[in-house]
Amino acid sequence: MSNAPHILVIDDEPQIQRAIRTILTEKGFKVTTASRGEEGLTLAATNEPDIIILDLGLPDMDGVEVCTRLREWTQCPIIILSVRDSERDKVSALDKGADDYLTKPFGIEELLARVRVALRHSASRQGTQSKVIQAGTLTIDLAWHIIKRGDEEIKLTATEYKLLAYLAANHGRVLTHQSILANVWDPADANHTEYLRVYMRQLRKKLEADPERPQIILTEPGIGYRFIADE
Amino acid sequence: MNFTVMRTSSFFSRSSQYLLAFGLIALVTGILFTLREALDTTLVALLYLIPLGLITAYLGLGPGITSALTTFLTFNYFFIKPYYTFSVHRPTDVVILVIFLIVAIVISQLVGRMQVSLAAANAREREATRLYELSTALAGLHNDHAIAQILAKQVQEVSQGEAVELSVTGAQPFSFRIPEAHQPNRSPEWVVPIEVARGVLGEIRLWRAAPAITSSEKRLFQTFASQGALALERARLAQAESRARVLEESDHLKSILLSSVSHELRTPLSTIKAAASSLRSDDVHWDSAARPELIAAIDDEADHLNMLVGNLLDMSRIESGVLKPKREWNILSEIVGSVLTRMRHSADEHKLEINIPDSLPFIPVDYVQMEQVFTNLISNSLKYAPSNTVIRIRANIENDLVHVQVSNQGPQVPTEHLERIFDKFYRITAADRVTGTGLGLSICKGIIEAHGGRLWAENMPDGLTFNFTLPLIWEGVSPPNLTMDTETE
Repeated sequence: MSNAPHILVIDDEPQIQRAIRTILTEKGFKVTTASRGEEGLTLAATNEPDIIILDLGLPDMDGVEVCTRLREWTQCPIIILSVRDSERDKVSALDKGADDYLTKPFGIEELLARVRVALRHSASRQGTQSKVIQAGTLTIDLAWHIIKRGDEEIKLTATEYKLLAYLAANHGRVLTHQSILANVWDPADANHTEYLRVYMRQLRKKLEADPERPQIILTEPGIGYRFIADE
Repeated sequence: MNFTVMRTSSFFSRSSQYLLAFGLIALVTGILFTLREALDTTLVALLYLIPLGLITAYLGLGPGITSALTTFLTFNYFFIKPYYTFSVHRPTDVVILVIFLIVAIVISQLVGRMQVSLAAANAREREATRLYELSTALAGLHNDHAIAQILAKQVQEVSQGEAVELSVTGAQPFSFRIPEAHQPNRSPEWVVPIEVARGVLGEIRLWRAAPAITSSEKRLFQTFASQGALALERARLAQAESRARVLEESDHLKSILLSSVSHELRTPLSTIKAAASSLRSDDVHWDSAARPELIAAIDDEADHLNMLVGNLLDMSRIESGVLKPKREWNILSEIVGSVLTRMRHSADEHKLEINIPDSLPFIPVDYVQMEQVFTNLISNSLKYAPSNTVIRIRANIENDLVHVQVSNQGPQVPTEHLERIFDKFYRITAADRVTGTGLGLSICKGIIEAHGGRLWAENMPDGLTFNFTLPLIWEGVSPPNLTMDTETE
């Protein structure tokens, strides 16, 4: 079991700690828990976990602050856990370097899916980035700039392609409006979400089987977008 | 400025009164002097009394007495032999002179006293009128500021002082000043506390260096102050009463809410408890068919409970006014699209028809809140409309508004209930027949109204339609018109 991925859970609620520890241990992960921000930061430094699951409401410090301090020295994936009504906190945690978020209460399948995405991304950071992404009948070849639905090639404008490429390269992860605008457009445009919305509508019309019920690029309300690729 | 003019004018009027009195006496003396030989000394004395009486009556006591003494001298000098001396030879003349002096002074005194008491009566009447005006103006006022303003104005009008300042203590102390710009930098000449039995509510400060404030004015201002105190006290009592009423109402609402909430919370909790405890006991076998069903029940009811808590939170946010929409230029079809994606599993027994024109401009709304409006309206329709019916979502532009309709083919709502279905925990059907929180529509209404829009329901021939309108103009700005690149690679 020494090769099992190591997950650090920073959450002050004992019930949540217990549930996550039980389930993740059952699934073969090694789990360490911390109930305070400082303790979490220390454990992250000494244990070098593969994934950190971080609650935003900690007794000693703000979760966003923990996130910022972690990002000063580690690229370890961070999954935020938070109660449902703090879009602003989630956005600021994501913009401060968190990789994903989950809203409490959450289903365990959801948590495991996010953990898998995070592990894959931390693996791809170490080199093996897949250049062809499959989402349903859609194939995106990032190396050759080719997008196909089935055998039919889909033509995109330059901006649409940049947008899709950024989303697809980060598939499974939630991307905030600000990070998309800063990466696809210009950091100066980070507040013009209306651009993003217009291009997103165009892109969905070209990619989605039913643009009225998007399945490939999902909207994360108040936060951003998430590209869903096949596992 | 006003004040110096007034002082000079009173000085002038007083000197002119004396001048007038002397003039009249000179005139009468002149007339009598020409007739001196034809008139008897006693008659002259009697005739002299006429101007004296007139002077005292019209010019006041001071000029009256002065004139009496002057006449005494002129009478003696011009009309009693030997003429042009103040000496008297005949004993009868002495008697006449003495009687004349006594009568002149007595008349002046009497008339003068009458004048004074008449003036006092007039002053009292003016005071009474002022007080009446003040109490009429103050009656029915329930606002500290308005009361202070009227009181200060009245004091200023009556006193004609340089400045009047009125300060009110209490939860929100403030002071009111007339004239606003001008403030003498010395201590006020007169300060009256505004007092009630419970304590001091404030004070009136009056600046008037001259003429000095008389005791009757002081008395009047004290009466003003006590009138003001009564009005302030009354205003505070009225405020306290209305606060108490609001509290009572919200208390009542809270107890309704609590009983309703505890019912709503306990229902899913009982299901969870029952399912979990039977799974934990040995009653349900590992391979029993009931097992997955119980587990599904726990999962579903936990979600329901979560939704309930979320709704309660939203409702309390709406009611406390914390729910401020975080507006952005959004695309309506995107909002509806993400709701439909999320609800695709619960909506598979109904047919959803979306008709939102591509040309619809951006709408200035909070994405998350609008998503919730659509989620609640659609899930309400899903709940009441029978399976295999159509739920339609339409949007169009009407002037500066976007008008959205969510229609279902469910049962109609009696006209008298159309407004009330947006009330908290209001249900037409019995609570146990339909699951829900009883808050969904109230939350929608709260959100739409926070956006400056309007939400209403109307019966259609084949069902029920929820309508809402939202303004397109956000802080005076129309929806942006963006240009896009259209050339494909």
